[in-house]
Amino acid sequence: MNSNIWVLMSADSVALATTLILAALGALFTERSGVLNLGIEGILLTSAITSFIAADSSGSIWLGLVVGSLLGAVLAGIHAVLAVTLRANQIVSGLALVIFGTGLANFLGKPYEGKNIETKILPLSFGPLTDIPVVGPVLFGQDPITYLTVALAVGASWYLFRTRPGLELRATGDDPATVDAQGLKVSSIRIRYTLAGGAMVGLGGSWLMLAESAAWHQAATTNGIGWIALALVVFASWRPIRLIAGAILFGFTLQLPFTLQAENITFIPQAFLQMVPYAVTLISLIALSRPGSSNALGAPRALGTPFVRDER
Amino acid sequence: MSNTSSEVAKGPHHSGGAAPSALSARNITKRFPGVLANDNVDFDVRPGEVHTLLGENGAGKSTLAAMLCGLYQPDSGTIARNGAPVVLSSPRAGLSHGIAMVHQHFRLVERFTVAENVVLGSRDLSYTLKRAELNDRVAEVAERYGLPVDPSATVGDLSVGQRQRVEIVKALYQGAEILLLDEPTAVLVPAEVEKLFENVHAMTATGKSIVFISHKLGEVVEISDRVTVLRNGRVTGHVSGRGSADTRELARLMVGRDIDLAVQRASHATGHEVLQIRDLSLTVNGIDVLSNISFNVHEGEMVGIAGVAGNGQKELADTIAGLVSPTSGSVSIGGSMSTDRGPIAARELGLAYVPEDRLGMGLVPSMSILDNLLLTRDRDTVVDRASVRPEANRLIDQFEIKANGPEHLARKLSGGNAQKVLLARELSGGRTATKLLVVCSPTRGLDVGAIETVRRLLDDARSAGQAILLISEDLDEIMSLADRILVLYRGAIVHETAGESAQLTTVGAAMAGLSQEVQK
Amino acid sequence: MNLPFRLAFEQRTETPRRLAVMVPLLSVLAAIVAGGIFLFATGYSPFETYSNMLSDGFFSSTGITDTLGLSTVLICTGIAAAFAFQMNLYNIGGEGQLYLGMIGGAWAGLFFGDRLPGFVMIPVVLLVGAACGALWIALPAFVRARLGTSEIVTTLLLTYIGASLVNHFIYRAGSYFRAPNTLFPQGRQVPDSAMLSPLGDTTMYPTFFMVTVLAVFLWWVVRRTEFGYRIQVISDSPRAARYAGISAQRTTVQVMMISGALSGLGGATLIVGTFGRLDPGIVVLGYGYAGIVIAALARNNMAAIIVSGILFAGLRTGGDKLQISTDTPIHIGVMLQGAILLFALGGEAFRRYRVRVVRAQTATAQGAAQ
Repeated sequence: MNSNIWVLMSADSVALATTLILAALGALFTERSGVLNLGIEGILLTSAITSFIAADSSGSIWLGLVVGSLLGAVLAGIHAVLAVTLRANQIVSGLALVIFGTGLANFLGKPYEGKNIETKILPLSFGPLTDIPVVGPVLFGQDPITYLTVALAVGASWYLFRTRPGLELRATGDDPATVDAQGLKVSSIRIRYTLAGGAMVGLGGSWLMLAESAAWHQAATTNGIGWIALALVVFASWRPIRLIAGAILFGFTLQLPFTLQAENITFIPQAFLQMVPYAVTLISLIALSRPGSSNALGAPRALGTPFVRDER
Repeated sequence: MSNTSSEVAKGPHHSGGAAPSALSARNITKRFPGVLANDNVDFDVRPGEVHTLLGENGAGKSTLAAMLCGLYQPDSGTIARNGAPVVLSSPRAGLSHGIAMVHQHFRLVERFTVAENVVLGSRDLSYTLKRAELNDRVAEVAERYGLPVDPSATVGDLSVGQRQRVEIVKALYQGAEILLLDEPTAVLVPAEVEKLFENVHAMTATGKSIVFISHKLGEVVEISDRVTVLRNGRVTGHVSGRGSADTRELARLMVGRDIDLAVQRASHATGHEVLQIRDLSLTVNGIDVLSNISFNVHEGEMVGIAGVAGNGQKELADTIAGLVSPTSGSVSIGGSMSTDRGPIAARELGLAYVPEDRLGMGLVPSMSILDNLLLTRDRDTVVDRASVRPEANRLIDQFEIKANGPEHLARKLSGGNAQKVLLARELSGGRTATKLLVVCSPTRGLDVGAIETVRRLLDDARSAGQAILLISEDLDEIMSLADRILVLYRGAIVHETAGESAQLTTVGAAMAGLSQEVQK
Repeated sequence: MNLPFRLAFEQRTETPRRLAVMVPLLSVLAAIVAGGIFLFATGYSPFETYSNMLSDGFFSSTGITDTLGLSTVLICTGIAAAFAFQMNLYNIGGEGQLYLGMIGGAWAGLFFGDRLPGFVMIPVVLLVGAACGALWIALPAFVRARLGTSEIVTTLLLTYIGASLVNHFIYRAGSYFRAPNTLFPQGRQVPDSAMLSPLGDTTMYPTFFMVTVLAVFLWWVVRRTEFGYRIQVISDSPRAARYAGISAQRTTVQVMMISGALSGLGGATLIVGTFGRLDPGIVVLGYGYAGIVIAALARNNMAAIIVSGILFAGLRTGGDKLQISTDTPIHIGVMLQGAILLFALGGEAFRRYRVRVVRAQTATAQGAAQ
C-alpha cells in the first residue's frame, strides 16, 4: 500500500476538520448561551452557495468568505428571533431552518450546478518545513483559514474560561434567571452569540466551497457535516479545545472513502465506506451517553429552554 | 426565639421619623393579568434600619420588593432614593442605586465558584479574569461583614445557609446599601437563622438598610425596627419600634381576622402498624442518602418527619411510595412487603402519596381535574371518562374545590385548590381504600385559609383511622399536628419525641445536627 | 442596545379559538408573500409562479389528483413525525425510515410476488415496509429510553446511512433490487400482484384512503385510549408519570417504533403505488423531511395532518411542474415549506403569549404619571 496516500489523507483530514471545527464552534457558542440551533446543516449549505456565487461573480475569494459568513449570521438571526425573542420551540425552528436553507441553497445554486470556482484558497507553503515527510504536509501544508480556525478554537477556550464576557456567556447558558437578576440582558446575550455562531458556521460553509470541494453539488456539498458538527459539540463536552481532536477524528472518517477509493481498495463496497463517518458519530454519541448524564457531560443546563422572566 | 441577639449594636437612625428615607415608594400600583398585586402601596426604609414587609403568600410583598430592586416596573407611583426620584428600569439600575435583592430561590450559577458568582455582572470587572485576585477581593468583602465563605468553592457543593451567605456577599460586593431579603429564613434551621440575624445587625450597624420580607410572625417581631403589613396588595398596618409589635395583632392585620392554626391533637388510641420500615438505606452515586432508617406508623397516627430540606426527606417519601428501590432494608404496607415492587403495587396495598411538588408530579398541569383523578387509578384500554365524571363532581363539592367543573385544567387552579384536588384523589382511594397517606410539605406556599383546610383534612383522615406520615420542613406545622416527631438529618433519624412533649429548641438542634450524641 | 420600546410577553391562560385557526393560515399567507418578494428579487414573476403552482397543484383535474396521490406518503410521514413529536421525541429521521420502508416493501414484493395472490400481497408489502421502518428506529429508540441519547441526531445520522444503503442496493452490480440489463442502474419492478391500480386515469391510489383513516384512528388513539393518556402524561410531566407508575422508557420505545413504522409504511405505499420498485431518486425527494413540517404546522394533531399534508402536497406538485411550465427552479417548493414553518413558529408566539409593545419608561414619563 502506498504510504504517501495516507499522509495525503491525514493532511486532507485536517483540512476537512476545518469546516467541522468552524461549524461545531458556531454551534458551541450558540449552545453555551442556551440556544440550540439545529439549523447548522442548512446554514452551511446556504453560505456555501452564496460564498461561491459572490466569489465567482466578483473574482474575490475573500469577498466570498465575507458574504458566506454574513449569510450564516442572517440565517442564524431568523432562528434567534424565533427562539429567543418569540420563544418558539427551538428544535422545530432549527429543523425549519435546515429545510428552508436547503431549499434556498438549491434554488440559488441551480445555475451553478457542477461548476468549479476559478481560483480557490491555496495552501500556504512554509518552504522546507512543508517538505518534511509526514509531519510537513499535515502541519505545514494547510491554507490560512485552517490555521485561523485552530487559532479561533484556542482563542474560544480562553474567551470562555478567562474573560468577563465568557463568564457571562457560560452563566447565560446555565442559569439565565441569575444572569437576568444581575441586570444583564439574557435575550441580547443569546441573540449575539446565536448570530456570532451563525457567522462561524457560515465561514465553515464558505471554506468548504472555496478551498475544499470547490464545486456545487446540491445537498451533497455538505453531506451531513452540519449534523456531525452538532454531535461533535456533545463529544467535546462543550469545550473548544476538545473540538479540535474530535474534528480531526471525524475528518478522518469523512475522508476515508475517498482515500480507499483512490487506493483501489474495493473489497469493502463504496456505500459502506460512505456510512463510516455517520456510523462513527452515532456510536460515539451512544458511547458517551449514560442515564441522566447530560449534566455530567457539561451540557449547558438551560440549553433549548426559552427564558421568560414573568413566571407568575 | 426572641431577644437572642439584642446585644448586637443597632443602627442609630431608628428612633424618630425625622431621618430621611434611604428608599421610599409612594402610591405604587402593579397589575398582573387578573390580579391587582399592589394597590397604592407606600413603603420606605431609613439608613441603618430593618423594615419588614409582612404578609401571607400572594399578599404582594414579593411584587413590591421586585419593583424596589428594579425587576418589575410599577404601573404607577414613584420610587425615590435619598429623596430623589429614580426609575429602576432593571435590576442593574437598582444596583447602580445601591439596591440589591437576595431572592428566596437563590440566583447562583451552581457550576460556578463562589467568586465567579459574586463578580458575575459586576461593572468594574476587568476584561480578563484574574482568579487569585478575584478570590482575594471576594474574601476581603466577606470578612468585613463576618460572612465567612470560601471563594474557590463550587456553589453546587455548598449548603443552603452557605449559599445564602454567598448571595449576601454578592450584594455587598456590588456596593449594595439597601438589601432586600426575600423570605430568607424559609430554608434555614434555627441556628442558621440566629447567625443570619447577627449578620443583619452587623450590616445595619454600618448604616446599611435591610428590607426583610417574611410571613413568620415570631422572627418578624425579633428582627424588625418597623413592620409594614400587606394584605391583598394593600397596606393594612404599620408598627414601629423593635419588639413592640404584638404577634396576635400582626396576625390579624395579615389575615384580616383572628386565626388559630393549631389543630387540637386528638389523644386517640392508635391501632395496628400500617407502615413498617426496617433498616432502610439508600445510596445514590456513592452518597448515603438514607441510612438505616426504621420506624412504624400506626392506624390513626400521624408521624411527622422534621428536617431541613435536602436531608433525605424526598428520597424517604419516594422509597415508601415505591418510586425508588432502596439499597437495603424493607418497607411494608399493611403487613405486606412493598419493597422493589413499584408505585402501583404500593398503591394496591393502600398507599396514597401527596408529593411536595404538586403541579408536575402529583398533578399533570395540562390535564383536567377529571384526567388527573385517573392518574393513580386503573384505566381501561379505552379510557371511560364518562363513568368517572360523577365522582369528580362529588369530590369537587366535598373538598370545596373552586373550579368550573371536572374539565377545569389543573394548571389553572390556585395552589390551594390544586392541593385540594391532590388530597381529594389520594384520600378517596383509587385501586384500594387508602390506609397510609404520605404527605410532603402539604401547606407550603398556600394562603392561610387553604392551610387551615388542608390541616383539617389531614386531621380528619387521622381520625378516620388512616396512618399518616407528614414530611415537612415547616417545624411549626409538625409541632402542631404530629403525634410523634422524628428528625431526619443527613439521611438518618437522629431524634424521636412524642408530639405533645416536643421542645422547639431540642428538635431544632437535632435538625441542625447538633444533638446526635444526646439522642439514640 | 437601548431601544425606545420593548416587547412584553404575557402568557395567555386561554387561547382564543379563532387564533388557533388563524395563526396557521396567516403563516402560510405570510410565507407566500415573503416567497413572492424573494422570487421578484431573484428575477422571477411571483404572480405567474404562484398562479401556475395553484392551478398545477389544486385547480386542475390532474393537479388535484396528483396532489392527493402525493399527499398519501406525506400524510404518512406527517403522522409519523407528529406521533413522536407529541411526546417530545424528535424523530427527524423519518426520511431514513421511509427509505427502509421502501427497501423492505420492494424486497417483500420481489420475494413473495409470484407466490401469493394480490389481496395477501399488498398487506404483506405494506407490513414488511412498516416493520423495516420500525427496525431502522429501534436503536435510537432503545438508547434514548435507556441512556437518554438525543434521538434528534441519532435518527438523522441513520438517514444518511439509509441513503447509502439505497444507493448500494441500486448501484451494486448484481443487486437483488436492481433491474437487470438496463443502461442506467434502476430498481427491479415488483410483480403486478404487489401493486394496486390507480383510481381511473390518475396518479392516486387507494392507499390515500387507508392513510386518512389511519390518521383519524391515531387521533382517536391519542385522545381516547389508555396508551394516549400515557403519552399525554409523559409529554407533559415525566415526573408525574413516574409518580403514577407509568413507564416512560417503555412508552418511549413504543412511540418511537410506531413513528418509525408509519414512516416505513409511507415508503411501502410508494412500492404498491407510484413507483413499484426501489427508486434511487427517493433520496432527493425529501418526503420524510416534509413530514416534519406537516406535523409542526398541524401542531401534531393527527386529524389536522390530513389537511396540512394535502396542502403541502399541492405546493410540491405545483412546484415540481413549475420547472416544466416556466424555468423557475423546483426548489421554490421546498423553500416555501421551510418558510411556512418558520412563520408558523413565529405565529405560535402570538397564540401562547399576548405580545404587547411597551414603551421604555423614562423619568419624565413616570413623573407625568404622578
